[in-house]
Amino acid sequence: MKLPMLVLFIGLTSTAYAHQPVMDMAPRWNNGYGIQTRVTHANAETTTWLEGVYTFKPSVRMTLKVPLSNGDTGDAIFAMPIKRYKNAGASTSNWGLTPSVRMPTGGGSQWDAGLSLSYSAENRKVYQLYDLYALGDSAGIDVNVGLVHANGKGSSWFTLWDITAKDSDSGQHVLTGPVVVYFKRNLILRAEYKFAAHDNDEKWDGDYFSFGIGLVY
Amino acid sequence: MLAKNTAIAVLCALFALPVMAKNYTINVHGIVCEFCAYGIGKKIRVLPFIDPAHYDGGVKVDIESQQVFVAIREGATLDKAALFNAIKSGGYDPIEITEISDDPTLSETEK
Repeated sequence: MKLPMLVLFIGLTSTAYAHQPVMDMAPRWNNGYGIQTRVTHANAETTTWLEGVYTFKPSVRMTLKVPLSNGDTGDAIFAMPIKRYKNAGASTSNWGLTPSVRMPTGGGSQWDAGLSLSYSAENRKVYQLYDLYALGDSAGIDVNVGLVHANGKGSSWFTLWDITAKDSDSGQHVLTGPVVVYFKRNLILRAEYKFAAHDNDEKWDGDYFSFGIGLVY
Repeated sequence: MLAKNTAIAVLCALFALPVMAKNYTINVHGIVCEFCAYGIGKKIRVLPFIDPAHYDGGVKVDIESQQVFVAIREGATLDKAALFNAIKSGGYDPIEITEISDDPTLSETEK
């Protein structure tokens, strides 16, 4: 029942941010799974991402991302995040190592391998994520740091600042901007806006918008 | 005859007393947000000795103090190992458990 649901979210890749973790720590319970869709707008192109995550146990998961753009399916990315958690009183953190593969489901023939090293930590006030990655011909770092606002009644707000730097064959760019994340029970909403603080990338032009909604079970 | 009736009345009164369920609190490391609370609650609620009539389906999580409160069914016995395994399978580390009340309704008022 659970695995077939994930199959629905087999997907592809498009331009930037294909490396980013699916929901980071969620779901972190054994045999948990989540589905998420994000709509991103960058370089005058709108892409819908279908994403899924299955947590065998907190330290082992698998994720799948599929981009859809202009009615076409792109290259799917399959990943196996391996995490090592540390729970210490009122804080939790994890190191993650994520091998991934980008599959030519979009019609091409090239397979790309990827690897990500990440660290994220959270306490009742502060959340931080650092993700160093390489995927295909690109590499970069993604940083999210900000505040956690829990209301004690089942929902939390995260107000974060994101810095994303990417290097690829087409050049380099650095994007930065605010991120807002909302949790309520098993619902996750995420909205991002980033502008180019540095752009020496011939394939990049303008700002980046993203809105996502996900459910975990 | 009076003594017999009195004895019967006392027995009836004794059997009429409710069997009080127990509440426990568990100190759990790593609980920092409402999403953590959701995951822990999800794993604990399915345990057979949890009383869903109290708290939120038998569980309450206080992220301020990293405490998980559970209500046990009347007549049921707490299975500490199963409870701790449920918390671990939720991704967190249970540290210690303490009985806090003989009557779950007392803690209900604290919600």
